[in-house]
Amino acid sequence: MTTLTTRQRIEDFPLTRTALILSLLALLTLAGVWAGLGRLLLGLGATTALSDGYPWGIWIAFDFVLIAFAGAGFTMAGLTHVLRQHQFEPALRPAILTGLLGYTAVLLLLVLDLGRPDRFYNFILYWNLHSPLFEISCCVLLYTIVLVLETAPFLLERLGWTRWLSLAHKAITPIAILGVTLSSLHQSTLGTLYLNMPHRLDALWYSPALPLLFFVSSIMAGLSLTMLAYLFSARILGRQVQPGLLAGLATGAGWVTLVYTLLKLGDLGLRGQWAALGSFDAMSRLLWLELGLGAVVPAALLLLPMLRIRSWSRWLGVGLILFGVLMNRFNATMFAQTPPPGTPPYSPHPVEWLTTVGILAGAALAWYVAVRWLVIFERKSSA
Amino acid sequence: MSDLHPQKISRRDFLKQAGAGAAALTGAGTLAGQAKAGKAPAESSWAVLIDLTRCTGCESCVLACKASNNLPHPDVVATSLDSDAFTCLETRSLAEGGVGYVKRQCMHCLTPACASACTVGALTKSPEGPVVYDSSKCIGCRYCQYACPFGVPTFEWENPLGLIRKCQFCQARLGQGQKPACAEACPNGALRFGRRDALLAQAHAQIESNAGRYVRRVYGEHEAGGTSMLYLSAVPFAELGFPQLGPEPIPHQAKTVMQQTPLTALTVAGLASALAWFLQRRQKLAAVAMKENTP
Repeated sequence: MTTLTTRQRIEDFPLTRTALILSLLALLTLAGVWAGLGRLLLGLGATTALSDGYPWGIWIAFDFVLIAFAGAGFTMAGLTHVLRQHQFEPALRPAILTGLLGYTAVLLLLVLDLGRPDRFYNFILYWNLHSPLFEISCCVLLYTIVLVLETAPFLLERLGWTRWLSLAHKAITPIAILGVTLSSLHQSTLGTLYLNMPHRLDALWYSPALPLLFFVSSIMAGLSLTMLAYLFSARILGRQVQPGLLAGLATGAGWVTLVYTLLKLGDLGLRGQWAALGSFDAMSRLLWLELGLGAVVPAALLLLPMLRIRSWSRWLGVGLILFGVLMNRFNATMFAQTPPPGTPPYSPHPVEWLTTVGILAGAALAWYVAVRWLVIFERKSSA
Repeated sequence: MSDLHPQKISRRDFLKQAGAGAAALTGAGTLAGQAKAGKAPAESSWAVLIDLTRCTGCESCVLACKASNNLPHPDVVATSLDSDAFTCLETRSLAEGGVGYVKRQCMHCLTPACASACTVGALTKSPEGPVVYDSSKCIGCRYCQYACPFGVPTFEWENPLGLIRKCQFCQARLGQGQKPACAEACPNGALRFGRRDALLAQAHAQIESNAGRYVRRVYGEHEAGGTSMLYLSAVPFAELGFPQLGPEPIPHQAKTVMQQTPLTALTVAGLASALAWFLQRRQKLAAVAMKENTP
């Protein structure tokens, strides 16, 4: 017991960069748990900066960002199992895992945000079919179950339960179709959600096309995050990525981003908002940041022949797409909204930040553990 | 002052009897009666006409509301809506000098956005007029606060198990044949309770017969599809901070999209299934063809 010297112990657990990052993530997760308990015990008034004029803050904004990013799961399941583009299969598992952890984080954040977390299941008992949020709640719950089923094979392989595994393989296409359907519904309904706020949301964003725009942008975010998940899972295991696969995903993300840009510009034109876009007032600048820097530039970086072949261009493009979608969800939820007159400005409470960062850190930690101990990155034999 | 008291009880009893008669006539009578009652709200549901020119800012309505609803701080007059105040009196300094008082409370929209938005259907428009809130269903998601164009629903921020709070149009009092507490308390005849169609007719007649006293508009007649709370004013409503809204009900667009949900689901699922089947088959055939051609 006491034969190990301190020096030996340190050598057993070398303080590598990975260990440092993991410790930091664990620490942030713990801080988040502590802050989350505080919120549940003390209530929203004591632990958030929310008010009747700003009833939703960064929790909801990050929820909507996370749902778009976690679109990686349905995008890749659709690409491989529905469109049967099997060349992308090596990136499927990192994407599905990211999807599951993303949606788990969303559910945790939502529970923190509810006034009555103890009644979170009420939407199953009481239906309001006209409510976008009812549909989103149902789809998010059902889709999280789909993601659990889609990740089950990773665990079944590890456990060696072959009978269940063959069953899971048979069911994979119907499950993927169910997942794509549920995702198409709630990714677009997140846009429909804002149609009930014509008096609050700026005209540069408020549009009957919101459902379509939200759906398309979830695909470009999903493809981008898949590339990052694929890259990170390779790095963690010290393995090589397939350059052709990344190039294919990057081109796909570029095209979807171009389609999104054209849809958004067309929508602005049809609603006579081009003048407002060119006015460069506060709202217009927010949209330029989101659409120009977050969609036009990455589409060019990922599609122009002289740029697309360069690695820096690709990863910058991917980063900018994710930035653009993040800005879009934040603008729609917070920055482009006009609260009722007399509302004090909203500046998030430390508990809101701690819980958000904690839940994200926890998800990252779980992601790392899964990549390490389950077969998330492709098997060596097929590489 | 006689027009201040429409014969509400007799009319109400008449309607009740009519409903009962219809129900008794046939088996489908109840359904027909309900359908009629469902049609009724727009025109002849309960409403309040708030004549701001008669309001002296005496605050009787605000205190009566607190007492009637057993709200905390019964002697503190609210100047803004919050979870302890279902109605409040806002004071606005006017361009031509002096102050204007605005009584605020839930507008009880004819097509309430809050009810359409509510995740669990805790908010509903009753055929009698009130937009009622069932706190036992509410999960505290606060989407109603975003959907309401009047900034009415408030949240109990200080309650660890917080819920939404708002004016219920004294639904229980209406059921007992009483006026809402605020309307009963007003000593100046500024709050007139009655049927919406009758009140609107009176409001327009008042505008016509008192030339120059009122702006030529009844706020709430058309705003956001119409509301059960109607306002008369001497100064433009925008100056008093009333939101300027079109005649289209707020929830119209979202509702139209939401009604397409089953169709969207079937289309996506059908298309995805067909694609998956077709592409799988094509790949299988290609593989077979390759095998046949190789030797």
